[in-house]
Amino acid sequence: MKRSAAEIVTEYGPFPGVEAVHGVTYDGTHVWFASGDKLNAVDPADGKIARSIDVAAHAGTAFDGRHLFQIAEDRIQKIDAASGKVLGTIPAPGGGGDSGLAWAEGSLWVGQYRERKIHQIDPETGKILRTIESKRFVTGVTWVDGELWHGTWEGEDSDIRRIDPETGKVLEQLDMPAGTMVSGLESDGGDRFYCGGGDRGKVRAVRRPRHG
Amino acid sequence: MESLITAAARALEAGDPLGALNRVALRNDAPSLALRGIAMAQLGDLAKAKTLLRSAARAFGPREAVARARCLVAEAEIALVSRDLNWPVKTLAAARATLEKHGDLVNAAHAGHIEARRLLLVGRLDEAERTLAEVRPTPLPPASQVVRELVVAGIAIRRLRTKDARAALSRAADAARLASIPALLAEVDSANLILVTPAARLIARGSEHPLLLGEIERLATSTALVVDTFHHVVRRQGVAVSLGTRPVLFALARLLAQAWPADVSRETLISGAFQARHADESHRARLRVEIGRLRTQLEPLADISATQQGFVLAPRKTRDVLVLARPDEEKHAAVLAFLADGEPWSSSALALALRISPRTVQRALEDLARSGKVQSFGHGRARRWMTPPVPGFPTGLLLPTPLLKT
Repeated sequence: MKRSAAEIVTEYGPFPGVEAVHGVTYDGTHVWFASGDKLNAVDPADGKIARSIDVAAHAGTAFDGRHLFQIAEDRIQKIDAASGKVLGTIPAPGGGGDSGLAWAEGSLWVGQYRERKIHQIDPETGKILRTIESKRFVTGVTWVDGELWHGTWEGEDSDIRRIDPETGKVLEQLDMPAGTMVSGLESDGGDRFYCGGGDRGKVRAVRRPRHG
Repeated sequence: MESLITAAARALEAGDPLGALNRVALRNDAPSLALRGIAMAQLGDLAKAKTLLRSAARAFGPREAVARARCLVAEAEIALVSRDLNWPVKTLAAARATLEKHGDLVNAAHAGHIEARRLLLVGRLDEAERTLAEVRPTPLPPASQVVRELVVAGIAIRRLRTKDARAALSRAADAARLASIPALLAEVDSANLILVTPAARLIARGSEHPLLLGEIERLATSTALVVDTFHHVVRRQGVAVSLGTRPVLFALARLLAQAWPADVSRETLISGAFQARHADESHRARLRVEIGRLRTQLEPLADISATQQGFVLAPRKTRDVLVLARPDEEKHAAVLAFLADGEPWSSSALALALRISPRTVQRALEDLARSGKVQSFGHGRARRWMTPPVPGFPTGLLLPTPLLKT
């Protein structure tokens, strides 16, 4: 297992009226984050909120190319990214104990915080297809280049780790600086992760290590 | 943090404890227990709240020291408001240190304020002041500022520093408006009442009138000879004779002062100081002895001369004699003074606060209950005593929302 300090590239926020960041995703242009009763789109170039959707947003956020998926209470809402309209909901696999959310390979991947699990579910029905065990509380999930990464937050410590999707084994770990929490994780498809900063109300960009 | 916990915490923050309970009522993981505990506290079920918060503190893992410390702080606040003064102060101090160490300064300040409120309540003003001074002056949320200023005002009032009290209360009012929490505004209002409600009676030359706190304070600079029934002292400016351990001498001094410049008959002095119905020869002999002792004690301040029918006070270096008395002289005034905060007290907490035996407190409470001045509820060790609600200080349960934060 490779272990190193996370390299924070940029910090966005705090944003006016935003107390905490509960989930993060990226649509190719904007970084979206969940702030309780809103989804906000931040322009990563200037760090300003370009657009907001009024929708319950208590935990993980994901994007499938057209729709935003957002955890609220014990369900996952499917939201049309263009209109902001909620198109439907499915039950969340953790029954409200859900934390992170990611879209990959036609499935939704949901972190279940205190159970230390990641579920792969059917985005149409919410049916659990399989479950990966982690060693830590899961706060964010993302897929990039076939790698499964998730954020952890347990007690006072947070890190970003790559795990083997078959066995749950930790392959690589990026330790966040003390007092820096990860609530929500998303890759930009390149060399950046976007991380929610919990109740500090920030979004951070962290460098993704490239191997080759 | 996870979804339903976030939703429930937001509901609590928005003042909707039932909405919070709806979301976590059936869950028994640590954060849910903590949220349920705080919701129950806000709904007024302090016993249930205490149990839930205690379970939550146990359920948080060893790596979740901050979350656990927050539960302990919330439990300490509930203990304070329930007047459970035996709650372990060391636990609170440890929780406060943990929060400080991990940079949770807002909740650490809250813990410090709870400590100071407890000290104020049991009359340890110096320690309360020291504790407040230790609280790191981080930018505090308005609600915490209100609490802080209320404690400052409470200390100032107990110390008869009206100007300081007024300034603190005005800062408290500003912060309460910023916080826009109705309960806090009400608490500041009722604290203000203390400044405009008579706190004592002044008896001089046979007549009396009520005194406000500020007027009592001004007495300190008066040149009169003052017989102070609050502190059981006779004083004139910087010179004070304490008669706290000599109740008979104090009673005589007070009778003489109240009548001044007239004299007081032997019969009145004997019945007033010895609680004797008929004055016989042995009482007259004892009166002579006690007057002799009082004369010795008061030597620097006054002389006592015999008259045809009794004795008269002759103050030195002043032409004024005043008696400062409680506004309402009750047999159990001290017990009532504590109950006047409008909160339920256990008799053991009262005994601790008054530093007298639990049995004595019990007897006083039963006495007061018979005359309808106090009421009790609960049984056995859970029994609590209170007066009908009157301005109290500081009594509120705050459980600030930062306690819920991740």
